[in-house]
Amino acid sequence: MVKVLFFGAVADKLGKRSADAQVGLSLAELIAQLECADIQPLLVAVNQEQIQDMDYLVQDGDEVALMPPFSGG
Amino acid sequence: MKAVRIQEEDFSVEEEVNTLRETSQRMGGIVTFLGCARDFSEGRDVFSINFEQYAGMATAAMQSLRDEALKIFDIMDVRIVHRVTTVHAGDQIVLIVVGAEHRKPAFEACEWIIDTLKQRVPIWKKEVTPDGDAWVTQHP
Repeated sequence: MVKVLFFGAVADKLGKRSADAQVGLSLAELIAQLECADIQPLLVAVNQEQIQDMDYLVQDGDEVALMPPFSGG
Repeated sequence: MKAVRIQEEDFSVEEEVNTLRETSQRMGGIVTFLGCARDFSEGRDVFSINFEQYAGMATAAMQSLRDEALKIFDIMDVRIVHRVTTVHAGDQIVLIVVGAEHRKPAFEACEWIIDTLKQRVPIWKKEVTPDGDAWVTQHP
């Protein structure tokens, strides 16, 4: 099982804060399946590390975060 | 208290500065950056700001900012505190305290830390305005 977390404007747009995804999808496929492909810019983290490679295949136990650009400070 | 913290409660600038000063008597320059909530933004009033964080990743990212700053700049110690809660105009949001033997690297490190924090730390703010709520997207 892969846990997907949504934050900020992404969570508001989807109306939820988390979802489950299948193991073995690429990040690009996972993003499309969760209807986030049209959200730009979208930052992605896997296991709390930001990642650029959208061909990465999600593995069992991964925690994926889909995030808008940060605005702290 | 830890040198890097994300917390709901307010912080004391004096306490953080004093804690930093206790680490060494060789510190000749201490620079602080204090970020506060404004009552006006993007041409409209702001009643309050709600913060959200990706817990865990946000603290780790702030911790590595501190580690990196200590490597890059000729400084002695750094403290970073960020609040994640609902704040109102005038409330304190973020504090960065940098201590060095001399002022120049302390100023440079302090500016680098706040600029980089805005790019790397997964914290978001939503402004509550008379026109409704709006996520802040840019980081000027």
